[in-house]
Amino acid sequence: MPILSSAPRDSLILVTGAKGFVGTVLVDALLKNGFTNLRCFARPGGENGRLIEQKKKYPSANIEIIKGNLQVPQDCIRAAQGVSVVYHLAAGTGKSFPGCFLDSAVATRNLLDALIGNKNLKRFVNVGSFSVYTNFKMRRGALLDETCPIDRDYMERFDAYAFGKIKQDDIVIQYGKERGVPYTILRPGVVFGPGRGGSILGRSGVDTFGFFMHITGRYKIPLTYVDNCADAIMQAGFTEGIDGEVFNIVDDDLPSSRALVKAVKQNLGYFFSIRVPYHVFYAFCVLWEKYATWSQGQLPPVFNRRMCAAYHKGNKYSNEKLKHMLGWKPEVPMMEALKRYFEYMKSVGKKG
Amino acid sequence: MLKVGIIGCGKIADSHATQIQRIKECEITGVCDNEELMAKQLFERFPIKGYYTDIDTFFKTAQPDVVHITTPPQSHLKIGLKCLGHGANILVEKPFTINTDEAKILIDAANKANRKVTVGHDAQFSTVARRMRHLVHQGYLGGEPVHLESYWCYDLTDVTYAKALLADNQHWARRLPGGLPHNIINHGVSKIAEFLSGESAQVIAHGFVSPFLQKLGETKIIDELRVIVHDEKDATAYFTFSSQMRPSLHQFAIYGHENGIIMDEDKRILLKLSGKSYKSYAEHFVPPALFAKQHLGNLAYNMRRFLKREFHMDDGKYQLFKSFYKSITDNTPVPIPYREILLTSYIMDRIFEQVNKSN
Repeated sequence: MPILSSAPRDSLILVTGAKGFVGTVLVDALLKNGFTNLRCFARPGGENGRLIEQKKKYPSANIEIIKGNLQVPQDCIRAAQGVSVVYHLAAGTGKSFPGCFLDSAVATRNLLDALIGNKNLKRFVNVGSFSVYTNFKMRRGALLDETCPIDRDYMERFDAYAFGKIKQDDIVIQYGKERGVPYTILRPGVVFGPGRGGSILGRSGVDTFGFFMHITGRYKIPLTYVDNCADAIMQAGFTEGIDGEVFNIVDDDLPSSRALVKAVKQNLGYFFSIRVPYHVFYAFCVLWEKYATWSQGQLPPVFNRRMCAAYHKGNKYSNEKLKHMLGWKPEVPMMEALKRYFEYMKSVGKKG
Repeated sequence: MLKVGIIGCGKIADSHATQIQRIKECEITGVCDNEELMAKQLFERFPIKGYYTDIDTFFKTAQPDVVHITTPPQSHLKIGLKCLGHGANILVEKPFTINTDEAKILIDAANKANRKVTVGHDAQFSTVARRMRHLVHQGYLGGEPVHLESYWCYDLTDVTYAKALLADNQHWARRLPGGLPHNIINHGVSKIAEFLSGESAQVIAHGFVSPFLQKLGETKIIDELRVIVHDEKDATAYFTFSSQMRPSLHQFAIYGHENGIIMDEDKRILLKLSGKSYKSYAEHFVPPALFAKQHLGNLAYNMRRFLKREFHMDDGKYQLFKSFYKSITDNTPVPIPYREILLTSYIMDRIFEQVNKSN
């Protein structure tokens, strides 16, 4: 049952990836909700502008900024000392499998090792990703929820980010079972909002060949607005009875891919796109994958059946578990969220 | 069947494993990393028989004939000696060692153990590099090389990427004697070393931190290098490393007494530079037409190779590994002569010595 209102406001909270897109909003949300003792862990370099602003805005709060690298065990020990709740948002991105694995799985293991023996620890909130699921054997339009299988065909899927996140989740679950770490896993869909200048059409289609191939069509895109997503993550840190649970985060009133592409064109400027039916693109992926194997990787299998299914097959999504067990609801409605995103994109001169 | 092992399961190990599995006459019998998770993740994604965290257990169980050492360079000597001690041949990622003294120790140890060693200078075995070598060996230059020019650049103009790199003070590349360039310029310098003589040369180097990095607050990473090399037979070379110039070249040119050759690694273009001149206005019309013909020839060649599945991005690695394995199984000469490894190391030592002194 939700207990956020009664959670101790002076609990020492660690946020990793605190300077990231979701991390900064989460820190904001925690401060707004009266939490006063935050430790923000971020990589060295870059600006601390947002965190410094928050320090000024909430002068009575103790906001400690720790710079370090979670690949370094000593940095993890510094970060973990005395914390009650950990929001673990830091993760590896990019196209390198070992790179993503190091930044997601090894870093998480180091952090968990540093937390072992910490008697204050109440909850380890692991922020994962939707990309860990496979819908390869599901029919189009089927419900993709927390019970769906995890993709273990790592090289066939050829998605380094997903590989890192799958292994990260595995380690968290293992530490939960074997070392008694009280954990909860949250898997957001496509997080969007002011602060991230990237496209939100990654699950709608592909723009690799110089124009946009719209593939997903009438199916919904699992969006979550950054404020709503951060709210869900925050609540997962202080809700009782959810140890070992997994929650997917998607907002209500999800737009169809078709509607989203149209909205992006209307708000951020026209771009040339071609509607490519899913089965046509799937056939293309089959051929590409076969060629990649036949040619021993002369072209890497970047287009493959599993990737095609995961991103473009089209599913139904549910946030019922999140609503039921966390008492969460998306405060910012989808229309308003998209409006804010488009305004931000226009203000920084970005196109769709 | 040659048994292959890999020690060091970080980023570069992936491309080694990818190319090794293309070679039919070998199998990866084990991978080893002191971080178990890293060894396991490589083991899980490739056809590998076992993974280990202890080198002795790795040798006992996997029994590799050849070991690829893909750890940070500071550990190459120690691990290399250990592998030779276990009777394995070794392929060491670049930079071979952190200096020439270490390189000599490793090569001497390999000779004493009657084992073979090579370095991951895979750019020496790219499609275009092999074409160029063939032309030189056919005598196209008209004798010994007179002058060489090597460009090996590194794109650091993306602010986000540069900031991330600069932020990582713990990165092993930063702790190399030559810092960041120490891990990058090997390919460009080895191209010069291949065509120079002897194991030493006169080196004049100038290096500085680019204005771009200075603006980001960096004072230590030398990302601009200009080098002149002069060998014992009076052949000369220019070497350029730049993070800022565009295009970001990976190019090599070699000039002899009669003709020259220029090659571009990125575009996989090889051009013969004829020393012949034409009379009057013909000099302005005939060579451009001949160059156009050569460019079309490059296009046709590249397409042909692609259609024949011989145009992989990492083909240099594949060719180098294959040649090295063949040198072990057939007892033929190693693909990269030890003299070349030592001269590359020597030139780099002199560059960093001078640059570090002046900065």
